[in-house]
Amino acid sequence: MSNKDVALAAHRAKLLGAASKVTRNITSILNPSQLLRETVDVICEEFGFYYAGVFLIDETRRWMELRAGRGAAGHKMIFQKHKLRMNGHSMIGRATGEHRALIALDVGAEPVHFKNPLLPDTHSEMALPLLVGDEVIGALTVQSTEVAAFDDEDVMVLQGVADQLAIAIQNAKLHREYQYLLRQAERRSRLLKVASTVAKDITSILDLDKLLSEMVDVICEAYGFYYAGVFLLDEAGEWAVLAAGRGKAGATMIAEGHKLKVGGFSMIGASLSQRQGRIALDVGDEPVHFKNPLLPRTRSEMALPLLVGYEAIGALTVQSREAAAFSEEDITSLQAMADQLAVAIHNAQLVEDLEVAHEQLLRTKTFEAIATATGEAIHWVGNKAAPIPASVNRIREDLTRYLVAAHTLLSSQPEEVREHKYARLVAQGVAQLEERGVELSPVQGKLAHWSWRRLRRMVSVESILEDLDIITGSAAAILRIKEDLIGPARARRIQSFAVEPLLRETVASMGIDKGMVEFAVEEGLPLLCADRMQIKRVLTNLFKNSLEAMAASETQRLALRAYRADGTGMVAIEVIDSGTGIPPELLDKIWVAFFTTKGDSGGTGLGLPACAQIVDALGGGIVVASEVGVGTTFTITLPSVEDKSSPTPQASAEAVKPTLEMPQDLF
Amino acid sequence: MEDEIRLLLVDDERLVRRSMEKTLFRGGFDVTVAENAQGGLQSFNAARAEEMPFDLVILDLHMPNLEGVEDKNAGLQLLSRLLEEQVDLPVIVLTAFDEVARAKESLKRGARAYFVKGREAQLIELINDILEL
Repeated sequence: MSNKDVALAAHRAKLLGAASKVTRNITSILNPSQLLRETVDVICEEFGFYYAGVFLIDETRRWMELRAGRGAAGHKMIFQKHKLRMNGHSMIGRATGEHRALIALDVGAEPVHFKNPLLPDTHSEMALPLLVGDEVIGALTVQSTEVAAFDDEDVMVLQGVADQLAIAIQNAKLHREYQYLLRQAERRSRLLKVASTVAKDITSILDLDKLLSEMVDVICEAYGFYYAGVFLLDEAGEWAVLAAGRGKAGATMIAEGHKLKVGGFSMIGASLSQRQGRIALDVGDEPVHFKNPLLPRTRSEMALPLLVGYEAIGALTVQSREAAAFSEEDITSLQAMADQLAVAIHNAQLVEDLEVAHEQLLRTKTFEAIATATGEAIHWVGNKAAPIPASVNRIREDLTRYLVAAHTLLSSQPEEVREHKYARLVAQGVAQLEERGVELSPVQGKLAHWSWRRLRRMVSVESILEDLDIITGSAAAILRIKEDLIGPARARRIQSFAVEPLLRETVASMGIDKGMVEFAVEEGLPLLCADRMQIKRVLTNLFKNSLEAMAASETQRLALRAYRADGTGMVAIEVIDSGTGIPPELLDKIWVAFFTTKGDSGGTGLGLPACAQIVDALGGGIVVASEVGVGTTFTITLPSVEDKSSPTPQASAEAVKPTLEMPQDLF
Repeated sequence: MEDEIRLLLVDDERLVRRSMEKTLFRGGFDVTVAENAQGGLQSFNAARAEEMPFDLVILDLHMPNLEGVEDKNAGLQLLSRLLEEQVDLPVIVLTAFDEVARAKESLKRGARAYFVKGREAQLIELINDILEL
């Protein structure tokens, strides 16, 4: 091997080493500007060049811009936006036009004058096209201070470097595009996620005001918008009325009754009449002036119609502080959200309508119920009170008759008798009656006219006492309402107790003939979990009803059954009588307060409603089945200790909290 | 007393019935009472059988009907039944103040008058008017 060969081999080895180092560096950089900057530095350092620069084709594909240049010269040229025409006369232009590397040496057959004042020491230059496949994406220039710096081998090696660089540039560009796409995808997915969250949130809100105000807040927070507002169409469909707006501006506009004419010049108006989203950006060909003094920082605005099917129910406005805030992505995702919002608003409106209708219905029903209950109550009280005035009149009449009789008798007596204190007492009584305007002479006449037989039938202390009893009885019946009303309101004391002893105890306490009662209690029946006192009241009431219903029946049989209700952990108690039965049309009325079928028995008509109230409060139920002429069966179901949901028996006295719950249903 | 006016009073409310009975008695009437439609019909028929028919019948509306079942229209039912038996029978229907509809219905069916419970003294006048005493 000659010295020259050795030197050549060494040169080649050095070149290849440099190339490999350069390319290794190049391929690891994905940031394009960093890639180019570092590449020119590394090329110069590794190959010992004076200058290196990278040109890339611009978007017009007519020019190549200098994108990286070595040292101060490079910086300056980039600053000056140094560019060369594609396929032009420059070396770079020709190299890219011819798809091959060109060398210019300041020597030999083709001397070239290097005239770049920023690179005064250049004496050799090589221009290499940057090719990806057949496509030129730019060019690499390397310059040397040596007069004939480049030979073919250098060209070959550097073309290899250029090819690697081209691929790296392409990679970096692809990477950046990929990153952009990735970011776009991420943004889109984030927006869709927000939209779906919002949609999920909003569709579950049925309160319209709450829905809308949450909506504008969520939109502003999720997208970082300056303002969002929701307009709803008025009934005539002529105006879009602001129903919710973000922040103070929104509140102020709502307070001012802010509304926009449908089909008017406003974006909202236009979006509604055209059923299409509208965007206004404070940039570009269509500059818009945003003049709302409450929203001074708005630079972009989007208006989206809220459509249910083809019907517009309102519009959404979103506004941004940025000049060109809305991308296609935003429009797509916001329109999706607007569609969801429209559905949610529609739902809320339907619910609101329904609620109004229901309220009206309820009011009517309540009024009817109150009217019915009140009517029944007044009717009932009136009936009970009816005998009182007549009894009072009779007592007054009787008193008058006795006094008149005594006074008349005494009047005919000698003076000493008339002066007796008893006679004077009678006289005083008569005088008092006269003072009250009672006419005595007709009474006197009547009494004188009546035979003894008639007299003693017409005037008696018996009658007075009976009338007093009538008054007492009537008053008592009326006063009993109080007890029937307050009964269920008494504090509950939940305890566990056996059914059968309670049934037997209740029967005994009511003095019911044991011979007519039949007990059938299931073996091993669990203890009840209820208020024993209250249940006794209920049973007493039901037994009383049964006895009354059977009063006229030939067979008087009261059957009391208790058994496990199917699979519920509840116990059922049946009270079966052989009474007259309840006609089907009255079956549901027996639960109405003041509805009573009993003329004579003094029932208030509150017994069964009170029973239902008590049983219901204990977590049980009461139903009735009846057949006229056969009898009636009341079935109470009550929680037992086997019922998991049953109320826990009170462990200590302090846990007993008297709760005064007035039985509202009774009225 | 042979010459006494005979009245039949049918009402299921014991105290109301008794009070009214006393009032009518004091008014000089011979009063027979019944506590439901069945009892009323029985008394009516019995009196006719004995050829001592009632001069006037006073009926409550809401009471056990002829089938023994509690019925707001029991009085109307009995009214129609009695008028079938005796077309010219004067009947007064007892109503509560809030039973105007039923009161009118009773007049349609042939009752001579309706009387709102609780003003018993005026009942005597009403009976006297109807019987032209």
